[in-house]
Amino acid sequence: MARFLLRRLGLAVFVVLVVTLLVAWAVRLSGDPAVMLAEGSTVTEQDLQNIRKALGLDRSFAAQYAGFVGGMVTGDMGNSFMGGRAVGGMVRQALPLTLMLAGLSLLVSLALSIPLGIHAAVHRGGVADQAIRIVSLVGLSFPNFWLAIMLVLVFSIALGWLPPSGADGVSAVIMPVMTMGVILTATNVRLVRTAMLETLSAQYITVARSKGLGEAVVLYKHALTNCAIPLITYIGLQFGGLIGGVVVVERVFNWPGMGSLAFDAVASRDYPVLQAVVTVLAVVIVLVNLLIDLVYGVVDPRVRAE
Amino acid sequence: MRVRALLSATSLAALLAIGTPANAAGTLTVAQSQDPNNWDPIATFLIAWGSVASNFFEGLVLRDEALNLKPGLATSWEVLDDGMRLRFKLRQGVTFHNGEPFNAEAVKFTMERLLGPEGAKGPQQSNYTSIGSVEVLDPYTVDIVLKRPDPVMITKLAGYGAMIVPPKYVAEKGAQGFAAAPVGTGPFRMTGYENKVSATLEPNAGYWGGAPKLDNVIYRFIVEPNTQVAELQAGRIDIASNVPIALTSTIAGHKDLNLVSITGPTVTVARFNTHTGPTTDERVRKAIIMAVDREAIVKQILQGHAKSVVSFQSTLSFGFDPAQKAVPFDPAGAKKLLAEAKVPAGTVVSLDFPSNDTTFREVAQAVAGYLSAVGLKGGVKPHELNVFTNDIIPNGKTGEMFRMGWGGWTFDYDNTAYLMYHTGEHWNPYDKDPALDAMLEGQRKIADRGEREKALQKIANFVADHALELPLYNINTIYGVNKRVKNLVAPPDNRLRLMGVTVD
Repeated sequence: MARFLLRRLGLAVFVVLVVTLLVAWAVRLSGDPAVMLAEGSTVTEQDLQNIRKALGLDRSFAAQYAGFVGGMVTGDMGNSFMGGRAVGGMVRQALPLTLMLAGLSLLVSLALSIPLGIHAAVHRGGVADQAIRIVSLVGLSFPNFWLAIMLVLVFSIALGWLPPSGADGVSAVIMPVMTMGVILTATNVRLVRTAMLETLSAQYITVARSKGLGEAVVLYKHALTNCAIPLITYIGLQFGGLIGGVVVVERVFNWPGMGSLAFDAVASRDYPVLQAVVTVLAVVIVLVNLLIDLVYGVVDPRVRAE
Repeated sequence: MRVRALLSATSLAALLAIGTPANAAGTLTVAQSQDPNNWDPIATFLIAWGSVASNFFEGLVLRDEALNLKPGLATSWEVLDDGMRLRFKLRQGVTFHNGEPFNAEAVKFTMERLLGPEGAKGPQQSNYTSIGSVEVLDPYTVDIVLKRPDPVMITKLAGYGAMIVPPKYVAEKGAQGFAAAPVGTGPFRMTGYENKVSATLEPNAGYWGGAPKLDNVIYRFIVEPNTQVAELQAGRIDIASNVPIALTSTIAGHKDLNLVSITGPTVTVARFNTHTGPTTDERVRKAIIMAVDREAIVKQILQGHAKSVVSFQSTLSFGFDPAQKAVPFDPAGAKKLLAEAKVPAGTVVSLDFPSNDTTFREVAQAVAGYLSAVGLKGGVKPHELNVFTNDIIPNGKTGEMFRMGWGGWTFDYDNTAYLMYHTGEHWNPYDKDPALDAMLEGQRKIADRGEREKALQKIANFVADHALELPLYNINTIYGVNKRVKNLVAPPDNRLRLMGVTVD
């Protein structure tokens, strides 16, 4: 187990390093932050050079990259090109907001998809099963930004129940979480249903039933535990996509998280912010996957034994 | 896992605590797209900065809603030594929001900071390089000595980089501290700022011009214009400052909202590639200008929220020539000119533009349609904004035409014309004309206002005669305003003056 963990950890560090190199390289492919900063003013080439020098852009790529990675390791993420704010502070402010959105969306989707998926599997081919499958297909076809706008139209403008944007108060969390939760549920409910169907045909379920156990115990204790492995694997895979979806949803709801930071940083070629955001999110995704490897051991004794 | 749960729980608790009630009486909430991130006057050139910071910073000179210059922190000024020395009498008894006194030393500090190494890191310095030195004559008299004539200097002193800052406070807080918690002399002071979320202002009770009537002003930074309009409809903001044309009818039809559409600072034109391709021929450029019905574009695509222009400036600009006539829409004449220039039918004329400008996308398609109607093959080519402004334009990689939107808070044609037409400028990849260069340089040396205006008008006519661009329109700034806001005068420079504004 220790060797396994160590290997995974080494791999994780490698992945994050590759990500930092890719982002540092890609962000410099086009555009010039100095021109973005000076746009609208009567700049001369000399002014631009002064600005570039002040931003440290006159150094070689290797020096800039080394500075960035070194800074990430020591915890000093540098200052934003656009306004000079400390990037570390910006990320500390934004990251919890993004993780909260992602985490709550995941929770909502699990709370919906597990009972629905089980119900569909148990009553396979029934009216409920058909309905769940059709609704989930519809859910799968929604682009997240469209769903977000529809929610705003209904709950903010027509009904006036929820604020259309911002991150102030519990009411502001509901629509962003609903947007992502609904779309996640659409995929997860199918996953639970399929995994459940497979499990329910296994012999130990027949044994459990013939022992006279209640249906609830059979489903939630015996069947669901055995469905957990594929479900957890899939959630791990989903997490990256979930973070990607957050970028769009944050923009629509003006949610001041990592997505909003990334969006602005791309537009203005704010290298330090973009590099930090991408790296931190990469670390989060890698950590979540590492965590899932550990959770396997908890839910499946066979993994622990290995 | 437990740590994460805890993290979420604490964030949630924090969120619960900061819920703010919408639409309190006396509180004005304004939404704008951009957070300037840095409130230091020397570090920015964003209209988004000016619209907020004009409430707490002041220059020696101010500009009112009608863009007239008027005394600010200086009560009067005179122009000496043939325009090379500007003498300011300063307002007495003014203090900064932190209690620091305003005087000639503060002016000297501000200017030297702007022109020194601190200023070199930002985009403002280049606007003020004509200043040679600042001389303090007595605590309330100060001279700004120029090293070369700069007729726009007085106007520039009402603008961005020349906002007067408190010397002691800046020294104490450092650049970063000042950028996050600015202190000025204006009618409001900043009391709270959360990056990318909001800025809160409270009235400066001791303001020399009298206390403002509002209890609070909150600026919220909402990137998506559609989201701003949703907030406005939900009654959670009072002013949406970036209303997209597609949503104007929604606001106009709402019982609690007013649509305010006024002349904006930005003029949009399609410039020609005069260096390569068919548009090197002046006749072809003239034909293209004749082929496009600009009035129809303004009426139908922009739904009247714009004015067509005859040169690269609005009617408010210094240098605008009321006698200059638009080239009339004349497709038959265009065809004749193209035949004369022996341009084969189906010659491609492509128009490049930044992809984030969704309004211009429709305009570009209309232009392409008009060009196709006279036998050319009109094309549209979107680029990512940053690539467009940093690579495609300056490196001359555009098609036959490219979109350029420009305007400045100075409302002086020099600010556009010099940067667009002078040889070797960043935004001018194609045009090289010694005669035009001489005119552009010459007007900067004219101290007499009337003479200089004539020189600028001559430049505008020269550019039109040589068909260097297809003039399009001056687009309006469109605000959506809740009817509970009273006495709001929307200015063309996007800097809302909130002194007399009240909110029911």
